[in-house]
Amino acid sequence: MEKIALSKGFKLKLSGMPDTSVIHLPRPATVGVCALDIPHIRPKLLVKEKDRVKTGTPLFCDKRDTGIQYVSPGTGTVKKILFGKRRRLLEVVITLEGMDDFVQFDPVSAKDLSQIPAQKLADHLKQGGVWQFLRQLPARDTADSATAPPLIIVCLNGNDIFSPHPGLVLQDNIRQFAFGLSMLKRFSDRVIVAARTDSLALLAPAKHLITLQVPDTYPAWDPGAILYHIKKEAKENAAWYIGVQDLVRMAQFLETGRYPFDTMVTVTRGSDKKPHMITRQGSQVRLLAGNFSPGSLITTGQLNGRIKDPDAHLGFFENTLNIIPDAPGDEMFGFIRPGLNKPTVSKAFLSSLVGRKVQMDCTMHGEERACINCSYCENICPVDLMPSFIMKALVSDDIEEALELGLLDCCRCGLCSFTCPSKIELARILSLGMDAHHKDTQG
Amino acid sequence: MINPIKKIFALLEYDFSESGKFAKLGPLFDATKTFFFLPSPKSKLEPFIRDHLDLKRYMSIVIISLLPVLFFGIYNTGYQSGLARGETLDFWTSFLSGAWVVIPIIIVSYGVGFFWEILFAAIRRHPISEGFLVTGMLFPLTLPPTIPLWQVAMGISFGVVIGKEIFGGTGRNILNPALTARAFVFFSYPVSMSGNIWVAGADAVDGITGATALAVNAEGGSGLFSTLSNQGFSLSNLFFGFVPGSIGETSALCCLIGAVFLMVTRIGNYRIILGGIAGLVITAILFYFLPGTKGTWADAGPLYHLCAGGFLFGISFMATDPVSAPGTNPGRWVFGFLIGFLTVILRVANPAFAEGVMLAILFMNVFAPLLDHLVMKHRISKRIPNV
Repeated sequence: MEKIALSKGFKLKLSGMPDTSVIHLPRPATVGVCALDIPHIRPKLLVKEKDRVKTGTPLFCDKRDTGIQYVSPGTGTVKKILFGKRRRLLEVVITLEGMDDFVQFDPVSAKDLSQIPAQKLADHLKQGGVWQFLRQLPARDTADSATAPPLIIVCLNGNDIFSPHPGLVLQDNIRQFAFGLSMLKRFSDRVIVAARTDSLALLAPAKHLITLQVPDTYPAWDPGAILYHIKKEAKENAAWYIGVQDLVRMAQFLETGRYPFDTMVTVTRGSDKKPHMITRQGSQVRLLAGNFSPGSLITTGQLNGRIKDPDAHLGFFENTLNIIPDAPGDEMFGFIRPGLNKPTVSKAFLSSLVGRKVQMDCTMHGEERACINCSYCENICPVDLMPSFIMKALVSDDIEEALELGLLDCCRCGLCSFTCPSKIELARILSLGMDAHHKDTQG
Repeated sequence: MINPIKKIFALLEYDFSESGKFAKLGPLFDATKTFFFLPSPKSKLEPFIRDHLDLKRYMSIVIISLLPVLFFGIYNTGYQSGLARGETLDFWTSFLSGAWVVIPIIIVSYGVGFFWEILFAAIRRHPISEGFLVTGMLFPLTLPPTIPLWQVAMGISFGVVIGKEIFGGTGRNILNPALTARAFVFFSYPVSMSGNIWVAGADAVDGITGATALAVNAEGGSGLFSTLSNQGFSLSNLFFGFVPGSIGETSALCCLIGAVFLMVTRIGNYRIILGGIAGLVITAILFYFLPGTKGTWADAGPLYHLCAGGFLFGISFMATDPVSAPGTNPGRWVFGFLIGFLTVILRVANPAFAEGVMLAILFMNVFAPLLDHLVMKHRISKRIPNV
């Protein structure tokens, strides 16, 4: 097992680690397929309200490649199709029936796998609605099946610090995981399986499959960060990656010919230790989150997720909910207090002398100001970018300079915005820059 | 129970809002309110948790680091004026008589500077930046205690308006505003900035030497050190700061305390401070071994160069201004080193200026973007391209 080192990254210890027990949640009344966490997609609807859909019926596809379709994770009727501003598709909500009626595909056995051409395998996965689990760096768009990737990274740990533990995801699925890895080998000779050091204890049964050990510092296990630290030449930039649950579900689809709808999620809050929950893809947030105090934010990643409305449904790629409490209120002379209870990655508060676990609140702790060149963003960036300089290049519309400075290596971990004392939305500015560039290159 | 101060702000809020009668003074209201109550709006974009460090805290740390220098400066101002009259004042008398001189200078600096800040903030419709808290404190500390108050007002106006605001305000200035202000006063009112000016109230007394240590050269047969010692500039006096000079610069010890505080809290970049000290020490040693310099400051060696004059003040508090310093780490080392180097060069090789640190820092401020550019080109060449 190889190792990578990460000198920068997020060194604060957050509280809220979920428990390592697993429970199965009952079948939800509704499920939704959310289009907002699917990057770059231009959705085209394939169903209308009140249509009856089976588990595996395509609900919408991507206009850019209509072969890539997002299917229903349950059997029932389309209850509502929700649109946002400018008729942007938000969610397709389905009322579930008591039993699942599957769209059936031919199963693919281990023997078939070695004979079937890669292109045909990709088409099969696309029809089943699972191809898009594979994504392509640097834009994190759906993997392009027409090209062969230089390498594929399998990320055992999710986007958030408290994403589902891979040991629990794999405890009943090692065989499927191994099958999934052999499937990935059909697309690239180089498959890297990366796990957090912390996760290795519970991953013992799958240890022979892991090829790369990454440190426990967020975001060392992010595919972008992994790629940055292992790549040797420019052509590796177009690596594909896939999450562990997604790979297992792909393998389940191949084995059974049915759309695998179960997914493991975590719900984290500073004071809680909730178990890992197995539920249907697209369950309603309110069902998973339980009670929460007014004013708190529910997000799908404290540092790099999205804000979720309690009535919305969990997205296609999302498997973590963080409940982040509101701040207690304005603090008198807050700027000059010693700050024993003010978590920071700087050394400007006494809290930096105490290494205890902390719960952050969902507020900015200050107002936006001009960039003062302090280099806090550079000191935390896991992929050695200088976010403030890239931000200045982007704001002055100099995409060339931003690219030269390594914009596309950005792994969108959000740490630059986290640490910025001027509260500049660096992560968002860089993300928008990358997305705009991706849109441009697509023509 | 509602905090009574909060109540006052709530009452006044409307008058200072966009549609209120004092809408133009909105930034002033905002600055006052956020001084009392730290604002913490909810995060709207990822990441949803944010570090507690903000610019108010950042600048407060700099102000705290300046307190030893400030208090010692006040005390020393009183103490030196007592000495000039032939008295040795006790601590509180010195402190109070020093405060009588120094506090008005600080008040004028803050008052006039804030006027400009508020004016620009109101016209540009942006909040008042906390950076001025530091500028307004740094500038008076670089002045001799005898400075006329109107010159303080002129200086800070120039520093804020020409040094900062015409470039677009905080974060966009090329030069350190406090040093720009000092340079303006230095070149515009040379009579107030040189000669017999370093001791408050000394003009009433005849026969005292008014020079600072750096203006001293060896007399007659005696060496530089004994001449310095005779005039009260022994190394220990220079280190502790019981010598005449600008208000904040005399005590090397207090500057070092501030510098260590800045480095420990990581608010001041240690690369600049250590690089600067290294540059000064190495250059001073080189000059020390140069033949034919006996009796001048070229012969003084690193310790005297460190402790005399305003070098430690400048490198700790002025050079570490992140806006006008380079934004890359190798750039910061070079920036600091060259400040130290240029300071000694100016001190020993340029008869026009006894002190060189102000010009050295301003000069390097101008070069900071170039240093950044070179470092960035180098870093780009090291990256595996991804375009």
